[in-house]
This record gives sequence, structure tokens and C-alpha cells, in this order.
Amino acid sequence: MADLHKAIRAIHNSVVSINGDTQENIVAKDNDGNEVSINWSSVNAWIDPDTYKYNREQEYPSIQEQLDMQYWDKVNGTTNWEDAIAKVKADNPKP
Amino acid sequence: MAYIGRDTDKISNVEVLDNITFDGSSSYTLQKGGSNFTPSSANTLLVSINGVVQAGNFTVSGSTIDFGTAVAGTSTCDFILHYGIGLITSVSDGTVTTAKLGDSAVTNAKVNASAAIDYSKLNLTGNIALADLSATGTKDATTFLRGDNTFAEAGGGKVLQVVSTEKSDTFSSSGTSFQDITGLTATITPSSTSSKILVLVNISSGADNGYKYGFRLLRSGTVINEGDSASSRKLVSIGLHSGSSISFESSSIVYLDSPNTTSSRQYDIQGSTEGSNFYVNRTYTDTDAASHMRATSNITLIEIGA
Repeated sequence: MADLHKAIRAIHNSVVSINGDTQENIVAKDNDGNEVSINWSSVNAWIDPDTYKYNREQEYPSIQEQLDMQYWDKVNGTTNWEDAIAKVKADNPKP
Repeated sequence: MAYIGRDTDKISNVEVLDNITFDGSSSYTLQKGGSNFTPSSANTLLVSINGVVQAGNFTVSGSTIDFGTAVAGTSTCDFILHYGIGLITSVSDGTVTTAKLGDSAVTNAKVNASAAIDYSKLNLTGNIALADLSATGTKDATTFLRGDNTFAEAGGGKVLQVVSTEKSDTFSSSGTSFQDITGLTATITPSSTSSKILVLVNISSGADNGYKYGFRLLRSGTVINEGDSASSRKLVSIGLHSGSSISFESSSIVYLDSPNTTSSRQYDIQGSTEGSNFYVNRTYTDTDAASHMRATSNITLIEIGA
């Protein structure tokens, strides 16, 4: 399920604050505190264009691991670090 | 010629009473051996005064004999005999047993004021009423008995009431101006103008990597906790800088407020960001996985008596 908060903001530019977790209880307001009527069909159809970023962030090795991989690649002449990063990117392609 | 024979007080049913020392009164107390004596009647008494046996000129009531007229203090009582069975109405010292005492017979007045009754003798049963305590001061639901035998309210610093609100749903804002965090609010009515309100706030939040955001505390629309003014810098109670879009920050505001009122006061939290959205009770990314948690935030108000 898409992130409703992000989807609402993507569909409704005037929305500043959002409270709630579901379509039934979410209330969105503009900068003046006025409630904004939500187009739920558009919101529910929205696909987060940054999903691949979140997925990559989850799958990248930690910074410590990457530094270690780069060190040994330099010592041994291997490409383990580059291969690992390339695989994460390939598994989660940018749309 | 002196009387020869057995003493008259040895005759069966004859009592020799103590001679009376006259003092000008008309009535006197009959005694035998120092104890009050009640005769059967006046007719059973043989009284001699100044060598004259008295007859028909006195009455008795209990252990009191009344001659009907003052008897001069110079008069001498020669003897008083009682024929028959009389009654000694005054008991001898140390002879009254517990069995001789009636229930509830011993009153407070019978206990010597200086009697040092040992505490071990007080095997108390039942309840001691507050009214029985000698302690001074007001005895009610708000007071306690102190070591100086005084009822008084507890000292300063006591907790008078606690109000708490927990927010478990999520909130987000993109506002660079401060926005109320929906549901993160609490209202309290101080019981005294001198009370302090200890405000405890815990906020779980997140934002996109590298973005800054902050929170501030308000009382009924007035900001009560923020940094000192410093040119164009934004003033907050707590400021945060997200190190990752998947990071979760738990931050607190602790503030001792002096509202100086007994009217209802509402405490609110507002948030503001400088760029990307900030989130309450979730991370920015909020991926649907166990590694992305949902949390709670809360605000607690504690009224502290002066």
C-alpha cells in the first residue's frame, strides 16, 4: 500500500499537515489550518516514484562494510564493492 | 464500783461504736473502728452524753445520727452501744475485689490525675476515634498527623494531579511555519495559582535524510519554551537533524511552568521543518517492513503544589 501521507501531498499541493493512518481517519490541512478535501481515488492510485530509493537504502551494505570491501578490493585487485552496489541498483531499478 | 464481768462489746449482737467528738453540730457520723456504721434503727442504739442516757431525742439515717439540735462541743459522749446486727458501710483498706465492682462502675473521676498507668496495662480493643486524639489542627482528608502532634497538610512539592495524553497515530507536516501536532495536547486546571505544572513531552519523529525540523511547547496559544532570539534563526524547544530517511528520533521536552491561574490551560506541541516533511510516530520512509517501526508520543502534565 502506498504511503498515504506522501500520496496526499503529491496529489494536493496545498496540504501542509496530515494526521491519521487510514483513509477513514486521515485529516489533511492547508497552511491556514483549513481542512483539504482529499481525492482518494487519485491518492490510492498514486505510485511513489522514490520507492526504488527506499528499497536501495534498505539493501545497501553498511558504510563500514563498504569501506572494508573497498580496502580489500584495492589490496586484492577485486571488484566486490562495485559488484555489490551494482546488484542493489539492478534489483531496484529507477523507473 | 467498776463493772465486773465480760466487756459489753463481747456480748452477742452488741456493738460498741466509736464515741462521737461533738463540735456544735446536730448530726454526726456513726463509726465502728473508724469505719462508718449503719444501725438497724434508732431504737437499737444506746447513747450516753454527759452521763445521761439519751432516749427518743435522736434519729438515724444510714450511718448519720441526728439529735435534732446542736450538741455543744464541750459535751462528752460516754458511750454508744448498738444492739442487734448493724452494717459497716465503709470497707477496710485493700479489701475491695474485682468481683465487688460492677461493670462500668469505674469512672474517669475515680482515676487519680497523677496515676502513672503503665502502657503495658493498656491492651486496647476497638478503634480510637480521631476526636479522641489530642493533636491539634484540622482533621480531614487533606491533612496528616505530624510528629509535633499537629494535623496539617503535607509540605510543599506534593503532586496534586496528573494529566496525560498519548498519541499513537501518525502525523506529518511540510510547513515551514509551525503547525499543531494533532492529538499531542493536554489540558489541566490548576487547583491553585501558586501551583507549578511540570510538562513532560516525548516525541517520536523522523524526516528525510539531511533535513532539519523542530518542536516547541505552547500554553493556550503562547510559546513558553524556546531558545533565545538570535537574528533570523528559528526558535524551538528541541531541534533535530535527520541523518537518514529511515531513522527514528526520540526527543523530549521537560519544562516547569508557572501558569499563575486556576483556569483551564491547554498545552500543545507545534512542529516546523526547513525543507522536507517531518513525521511523528513513523520514519520518513515508513517502508512496510518490521525494520520500520511505528511509535507513540505523549504529553504529561503534573501539577505540583507550592
